[in-house]
Formats: sequence, C-alpha cells, structure tokens
Amino acid sequence: MAEQAQGISPLSAVVADVAQGVALALRGGGGSYALSDVLPPDEAVAPAAVRVLGADALAPYALDRAAATGGATDRTTADRALVRAALTAFAPGADASEVSLWSYRGLLAAARALLPADPDGWPPEPPAATAWTATDPWPKLAHRASQLASLALPGLDTPLAAGLAERTDDLARGFVRAVRRRDWLQAAGLGRWLASAADVPDTLGLDSGLVFVRQMSGTQPRVALHVAAAARFYGRGS
Amino acid sequence: MTGADPRGGTAVAAPAREHPDGGTADVHGLDPALLDSMAGSALRWLDGMRDCFRLPADVTTDADPNLTLKPLGELAELTHLIRTRHPRADVRTLAEGLFAFAWEETRGGALFGDLLRGEPRATYPVELYGVFARTGLRHPGVEELIRTATGLRGWRVAREDHTRTLGVLNAERRIGLPEHADFAEVLAMTGLGCRSEPWTLDRKAAYGVTHDVFHLTDWGRARERMPADLAEYLRLWVPSWLECWLEEELWDLAGEWLAVSACLPVPVQDPAAWRRLAAAQAPDGSVPESGTEPPPGPDEADAFTACYHSTLVTAFAATLARIGAADGSDTAPHSPAPHSPSLPHGPAPHGAAATRNTAMEGPESEAAS
Amino acid sequence: MNSELTAPVESAVLAAEVEGLVDSAEPEGIYRDTRECGGGLLLAGLLLISPPTPRPTKTDAS
Repeated sequence: MAEQAQGISPLSAVVADVAQGVALALRGGGGSYALSDVLPPDEAVAPAAVRVLGADALAPYALDRAAATGGATDRTTADRALVRAALTAFAPGADASEVSLWSYRGLLAAARALLPADPDGWPPEPPAATAWTATDPWPKLAHRASQLASLALPGLDTPLAAGLAERTDDLARGFVRAVRRRDWLQAAGLGRWLASAADVPDTLGLDSGLVFVRQMSGTQPRVALHVAAAARFYGRGS
Repeated sequence: MTGADPRGGTAVAAPAREHPDGGTADVHGLDPALLDSMAGSALRWLDGMRDCFRLPADVTTDADPNLTLKPLGELAELTHLIRTRHPRADVRTLAEGLFAFAWEETRGGALFGDLLRGEPRATYPVELYGVFARTGLRHPGVEELIRTATGLRGWRVAREDHTRTLGVLNAERRIGLPEHADFAEVLAMTGLGCRSEPWTLDRKAAYGVTHDVFHLTDWGRARERMPADLAEYLRLWVPSWLECWLEEELWDLAGEWLAVSACLPVPVQDPAAWRRLAAAQAPDGSVPESGTEPPPGPDEADAFTACYHSTLVTAFAATLARIGAADGSDTAPHSPAPHSPSLPHGPAPHGAAATRNTAMEGPESEAAS
Repeated sequence: MNSELTAPVESAVLAAEVEGLVDSAEPEGIYRDTRECGGGLLLAGLLLISPPTPRPTKTDAS
C-alpha cells in the first residue's frame, strides 16, 4: 500500500484500506462488499480500524439492507464478530470526547440497523450530548461534524444528525473554510453532511465542490469515501 | 477618546465565537469604544506619516504610482467617508485634516491635469479625481480633459478586470459623467455578480469581491444599491471569508471583510473578529499588513509601506461598523441638501444616533475655490 | 479475537491511537494563492485592490 510506503502506522494503513474498499463498494454497488473480506479478522488492528471508521465500515450494507440483515450467513456472522470486538475493545472511556462518543454511537446504530441481531445483544448506548450542535461557533462545529460524517447515512436517524440539520449554513461556511485551508478530509466530511441536507444554499456549489475536493485530495481514501457516500446516498456531487 | 483601555474587552458582550451563529452576531454586540479607539489611533498614526504620503516631484513621470498615487488616493477615498460620517468630532477632525492634505498634494486638482496629459488612456487619474469631485472639490481644466478622454470610443474598450471597470463607472457617476457601460451588466461579470463558488476565493479573488462591494455601494454610502441576491450571498459567506483571513493574519483583507460586513443592507458584524483585529493594531495605531512582526527595517518609509494600507482600512472599517446600523446614505453626487436631521434612523450602537452629526452627511458644500 | 489484542500495554497504546484518529486536531491551514506576474499588476492595485508590496506566501510543500 502507498500509505505504508509513507511510513504511516499499521492502523492508519488498515483504515485507509477499508475506506478504499467502502468507497469502491459505494461507487460500484453493495453486492460484493463484506467487511470481513476487506478486513482480515486475524489482524490485530482490525477491530481498531472498524472503531475508527465507525458506521462507515458498514455503509455499503445501507445500499441493500435486506440482503445484509436477511439472515446470519457466515459472512454476516464474521462481520458481527468484528463489530462487536470493536465496540467492546474500544468503548469510550469516562473522559471520552463528544466526537468519540458519537462516533461510537454511530457504529452501534449502524450495527443495529444493518447487521443481523446479535444473539448476545449489542453493548449499551453511551450517553452523548447534543447541546454543542446548537452552541458551538461554526468553525468548531464544522470540525466536529466533519469527524462524524460517517453518521450521515440513510437510516441512522440520530439526535446528532437532527441537531446538525439546524446548522446547514454554518456547516457550509465550514466547507468554504476547509477548502481554503486545503483540509480536504474536513471539506469532504462537511460536503457529505451538506449532501444530506435539504436546504443547502445554492451559491455554495455543493456538487462541483464535492468533485473539486475529491480531485484536489489526490488519493486520500477517506476523502473518496465521503464523496462516494454523498453521491450514492444523497445524489450530490456526481 | 475614552480614558479606559477598550482593549480590555470587559464591557463587551459575550464573544461571538460563543454565539450559536459564530460570527454573525448583530451590530449591537459591537463595542463602540473599541471601534472608536481603533479608528482614532489609526488616524493619528496616519497623520504622523504625512511626509510619507507627500508626492515626489517626479510623480507624473518616473515615480512608482503604487508607492505614491495609490497611498494618497486611498487616503483621500477612505478619510472622506470618515470625515463626514464618523460620530465623534475628534475623529472627524483628524480625517478632515488628512483629506484636505490629500487635496493640497494634488495642487488643487492640477495634478490630475498633468497625469491626464501624460497618460490620456489611463483610468486612474479619473478614478482619483472622482474621489474629490464627489465632494465638490473640482478643477475646471481637469474636467475638460476628462470629458474629452472619457468621451472617446476607446474609453469603452473593456478593461482587464471587470472589478476595475466598476471603479471607473463609480468615478464617472461621482464626477457626473455619462457612464460608459451599464453598471449592472459589468457587475454580473465580476466575482460578486456571478456569485462565485465561495470556496474558490483566493487572495486576489477576495480583493475582487471586496472591491465589487465597495464600488457597488459607493464605499458603504449606498447600501441600498445591493441587490437582495448578492446581499444574501454575502450574508452567507462573508463570515467564512473573514474567519479565513483572520486566521491567515492578513489584516488588510480581514479589515476589508469587516468593512464589507458593514456595507450590507442589514449589516452583519462580529465583535470577536474586531477584537482580533484590534489585537493586531500596534500601540502607535499602525496595523501591519500581515502577521505580528513589527514593520521591517528601521526606516520610516519601510514602516509606512508595510502599514499604511492596513491602517487606513482599519480606520475605514471601524467607521463603517460604527455607523453600520444607522440609516442614511449620501449617494447622489449632486443631491441638493444634506439629510434632514429629522429623518428616522435605524438601530444604532449605544449613543451613536445621538452623537452623530447628521448635518455632516451628504455632499459637502465646500467648493474648489 | 487475537489474544495479543487484549494485552494491557498494547491495547492501551492502540486505544490511544484509535482515539487520536477518531477525534484529531485540525491540521494547520495551508494557504495558496494564484501566482501573479508582478509587472502586470502595476496600477491594477490602485485603490486598495492589492497590498503595496509583494508578500511571501506560505505554500504547500507537497
């Protein structure tokens, strides 16, 4: 992998690999995707990568929910074990940030919605605040929201998404700032939230903005993932 | 000026960064004492730099116009608004002195005749003359030259930059000449008029949009000329651009965005942004072009070149912000009388409406005698 | 799961790395601007359009 050649950590490399697999699946359709295929379960960092990607690890299943939850096949059983390991090993601690909490809840919500029921039950949902979505100044809000873009997924109707839906203009301002700063990952994450919003200002130019960010970022898999999700789930940017 | 140091910020409302809209708090959140302190100290620094604004003997031939005519032109354009609109008499007096100084440097306008004879196709002498002409400071010989130059078919040839054409059109309007093109059609071709994707702005494009606004609104005097769709465009995106260039510490551009905020039909202001610009202002009143470093070199001329522009912009923006919520404009160059003091005013910062001298508004009565 | 994943030291390190990737600080902004031919700007900058002197611009190394 190119990422390993640049000397990044094994975890970051696995995250990039999975993100690439998810982006590919979103672009090409959900049929061939299986988390346990893009992520060999015997790799020590596999559950960590799932925790980092959060709901996005399961995003392709949102394309075809019936197939994913229809029954516990070998594949979905393996996926379920991976996600359970991620939720168990990397549960947010007492001092976890709001981003960490919401990212965790996103993965949990996606597991509940997109995987067959876990016979042992999924872990409990940790409490997470939403007040900051109303009170954060827009630059800070935008940065947090971009890190939680995996929660911009059809069927994941979280209080977080409801809160952010009230701040569309501010997320759009964050997109503008992120592009100016060449922070393509933040821009892509915000672009994905904006794609899910019904009231994006026309003058933002969201569709060309998403394409622009993907092209400018070169080959960052997580950028590609967000842009692919915006296109596939919300029909924006392509 | 007030005795207390307004930089302490103790008297101001909660920082806009804590505001849900982060940067879109209304004008009531601004601290008038801070704004007046910034404008006053900026003007005092500029006043102390008069020698650096003086035009050299070779100004019409070999001198670099960017280091001679541009500073003087900016001084005239921006102090003019301050001297007529600032609510504080001491600030107006400082600006009045600088504006009069600028006119003296043009030798009562004769300079523009020399420039026009030297460069008959250049637009800048007309643009600069317009600054003075709108106040009634006119020069008959220059007017004759300008009527000839601007009446030629060649004057209508497109300029490299539509924003610049807006400046020429505004000058024509100020002087009372026929406008050589349709303002709205030219505006439509600018970064503002076409409502560029806001994330495409780089520094040069940003200066383009700020100047589109300044020319469209006659430097904040005619906010009502702003079409609703452009006002909405700016309401949405100026907070983002302002934040970007504050972070980048390009203080002149940050100041221009603050001025643009005050040019909207409903001014949008950000008290926290003002405090950040205030923090960049040196104790002597100067504002560096960028960053926090002191101006390079011990030379007064170096300090001048590094600071005059941002310092002028700061004084200008602080004045616009101060009066931003007050109604009124003095747009028409030949309108007959100043606004009646009985005209209703919109909401103003604390005490601003009461202290504004409305008789100072409108086209000035002084003539080029 | 692999037993080494549960080893306390390694899992703490990994957990910290996960936390850092889930919630990371904003990278420092990289600002780039259109490069201009200086000579072409003569007087285009009259009346505030551009600052009086060229400034070095922080550029993206990559």
